[in-house]
Amino acid sequence: MNILTMLWTNLWGGSRTMRFPLRPDVTEHYRGLVTFDPALCSGCAICKMRCTAKAIEFKTGKGEFTWSYEPGQCTFCGRCVEGCKDHALSQESACPPIYLTVGELKKSYTVARKPPAPRPVAVAQPVVPAPTAEPAIGGRQ
Amino acid sequence: MNTLITSLARLLIFPGLLFAVPAAWFFLWVERKAVARMQGRIGPPFMQPFFDFIKLLGKTTPERGGVAGMLMRAWPLIAVSSAAGAVGLLPVLPASGGFQGDLILLLALLEMPSMCIIAAGFSSRSIFGEIGSAREAVLSVSYNIVFLLAILSIAASQHTFSLSALAQLPSSPLRWLGILALLICLPAKLHLNPFSLPNAEQEIYSGPMVEYAGPELAMWELSHGLEWVAATGLVATLIAPQVTLVWLAILIFIAISFAIVLLLSVTAAATARLQIDTTVRFYWQCTLIFAVLAVAAVLFMRYVA
Repeated sequence: MNILTMLWTNLWGGSRTMRFPLRPDVTEHYRGLVTFDPALCSGCAICKMRCTAKAIEFKTGKGEFTWSYEPGQCTFCGRCVEGCKDHALSQESACPPIYLTVGELKKSYTVARKPPAPRPVAVAQPVVPAPTAEPAIGGRQ
Repeated sequence: MNTLITSLARLLIFPGLLFAVPAAWFFLWVERKAVARMQGRIGPPFMQPFFDFIKLLGKTTPERGGVAGMLMRAWPLIAVSSAAGAVGLLPVLPASGGFQGDLILLLALLEMPSMCIIAAGFSSRSIFGEIGSAREAVLSVSYNIVFLLAILSIAASQHTFSLSALAQLPSSPLRWLGILALLICLPAKLHLNPFSLPNAEQEIYSGPMVEYAGPELAMWELSHGLEWVAATGLVATLIAPQVTLVWLAILIFIAISFAIVLLLSVTAAATARLQIDTTVRFYWQCTLIFAVLAVAAVLFMRYVA
């Protein structure tokens, strides 16, 4: 009889599914499309190496590099975001949009390589006296 | 001449093809929608069975050579024509004719889609199809004894094998016993839970239907819908009170059929699929006794009382 009560409740309780093109609400830590900030990227290509789905492409050119992302191949695992030391990658917290043609959502950025940071000027180190054989009084071994 | 025209009108217009095909899609939709709503899903839109049919008609089917290919194309057509013929025999309208023994013809026509499914599964040479066919055969043997005994008890209680005569006669308690037995058999006949063994999607990928696609699958779907109309319509004609107004008779027929579809949908949503041995045991041990008692009571009343 419990099942009949459950069916009755479901019948009048509305549906948990919805008709296309409506989308369900996302959860708090939802992993959506990967977004790229070219200003922060140093072009290390770690993201490409961490992407097992081969959704990220990375091509190097003369003084620049091209970063491409194909959401159709992405599994939204978040490994690229996790491995980005420059914090140039993040994930949207919304459902990916509906698309009808292959590669419609593909994004590509060509970024000029940043000049290498200047090396810090070498400062003369003060001469440290060599330690003596006997420890100073009150000192610890 | 008039008999011929009446028969053609019954077969082609009401309750035949012109009524039965939209009714089949409607009943399929009601069943899917009701089960979905009871499971907390939104369910298909109203026109979905029709869209499915049209979509399948537009698809191409793989080339199948030889006798097996020819048979595979023939089975769904035979199933559709048998089910449509069964619907055409239903005495929905008052004084709609009919003949002595049309009940037996109706039972034979109702059984044809099941036979076609068994043959189709074996013709497909698929292991899933063969398992589904074997299940359908075992199930058919199990529920048909009860189904036939139930019909027999009703026919024996009213002293006739004519459907229209059966429908016109006043109902008796024994007739209700037979109707109850028929209702118990309907989920098995229509492959619904808990007796959806031959077309178990999760286990054997729809069994005999696994190798079908395109227009042939569309015909199977249509045949299934027509089976719904014929089987629920048979029970509806036995339950429906006799009225002289044509539109009222049609309305009562549709309302009772609709109620039976809802009842079967609730059963399907509330139960899980049983194993084949449990199903066979259910029909042979529980309901067979029930059906035999009904027939025995009828015969006792006929010859002794």
